Amino acid sequence: MAKKTIITAAVTGAWPKKENNPNVPLTPAEISEDVYKCWQAGAAIAHLHMRDDNGNGTMDKAKFAETVRLLRENHPDCDVILNLTTSGDLFATDETRQIHLKELRPEMASYDCGSMNWMHSGLFINSPAFLEELGKNMQEWGVKPEIEAFDPGMIANAAYYLKKGVLKAPLHFQFCMGCANGIPGSLKNLVFMKETMDALCPGSTWSCFGVGHSAMEILYGAVALGGNIRVGMEDNVMYAKGVLADSNTQFVERAVRVVREFGGEVATSAEAREILGLGK
Amino acid sequence: MSWGECFFYYNCEVCGKKYKYAADLIPVIGERFGECPVCGCARTPEKDGARTPDDLEYEEIK
Repeated sequence: MAKKTIITAAVTGAWPKKENNPNVPLTPAEISEDVYKCWQAGAAIAHLHMRDDNGNGTMDKAKFAETVRLLRENHPDCDVILNLTTSGDLFATDETRQIHLKELRPEMASYDCGSMNWMHSGLFINSPAFLEELGKNMQEWGVKPEIEAFDPGMIANAAYYLKKGVLKAPLHFQFCMGCANGIPGSLKNLVFMKETMDALCPGSTWSCFGVGHSAMEILYGAVALGGNIRVGMEDNVMYAKGVLADSNTQFVERAVRVVREFGGEVATSAEAREILGLGK
Repeated sequence: MSWGECFFYYNCEVCGKKYKYAADLIPVIGERFGECPVCGCARTPEKDGARTPDDLEYEEIK
C-alpha cells in the first residue's frame, strides 16, 4: 500500500503582509476561505495564526473563534484538522497563548519545545514553567501537541517532557528548518533531525518545512524520507525565484504533485487522524 | 511559528541599486555575500531581519 503523506497548510503566520504578497490572507474571512481551498486541494491539516486589524500577529481568542466559526458555518463539508498556534505574538502572555485552546478545543496546537533568539532581534521564550503547564493542559483539553523543533536540542527537550509525563506518546514533530537562529535547512540536517527523533522519541511521527531557499529541498526530502510536509505563506511568500505565490493553494497543489510523482498518496483529514492518533 | 527568511538589505551608495541577500545563503555565497550586483563591490547592509514592507523594492541576489 502506498505511503500516505499528510500535508499541512500554514496559510498566514504572524509576519508577511499584503506588501510582501497581496495574496496572503489576514482577516478571519480571508483565512477561513484559504483554509477551505487548501483542504480541497489536499491539505489535511490547517495551521492557523491570527492577525489584528493592522495585520500584525495576535493571540486574540476572538479572532481564532471567528475564523473557526466562519470555516465551519460556510463550509460544513470541510473536515480539516485544525492546528492552532500557541506562538502568534512574541509579546503574548502565557495565558493568552493557550486560552483559545481551552475554549475552542482544536484537535491540534503547536508546542514550541524550547526558547531561542528570534530573527537576531528578539526573544522567543518558551519557559520550562510554560511548557509544563501547556503540555498538561493540552492533555486535559484533548489537544494533540505538534512539537515544533527549530533545532535538535528541542527534540531532546521533548524527550524530557515525555519522560516527565508532560507530553504523551506517540509524539508528533514539526521540524522547522532554515529559520534564523535555528538549524539551517538542508537534506543533511533533515536526516539528522529525523535520526535524533528516532533515537530519543522512537515511534513518533514527523513533518517538516523549509523557509525560503530550502523549501524545495526539504519538501523533496520529507517525501523521500517518509515524513509529512507543511507548506504555505507562513513560511514562504515566493513560489519560485522572483515569483510571488498566487495563493496558498498553489503550494498545496505542488506538494500533492510531488507526493504522487514519488509514488505516494496524500492523506485525507480522516486518514491523518488515524496516522496521528487523534481522538484516542 | 516562523517568520520566513531573514534578509540583509543593501542600498548601494555608489549606483543606488537596492538588493538583498538571504542570510541562510551565507555559507553558499561565501565571500561574495553582500556584493552589489551592479558595482561588484562589498557593501554594508542598511538593515536586516524578516521581510520588510518595502521588501519587493530590493532585488534578491542568489
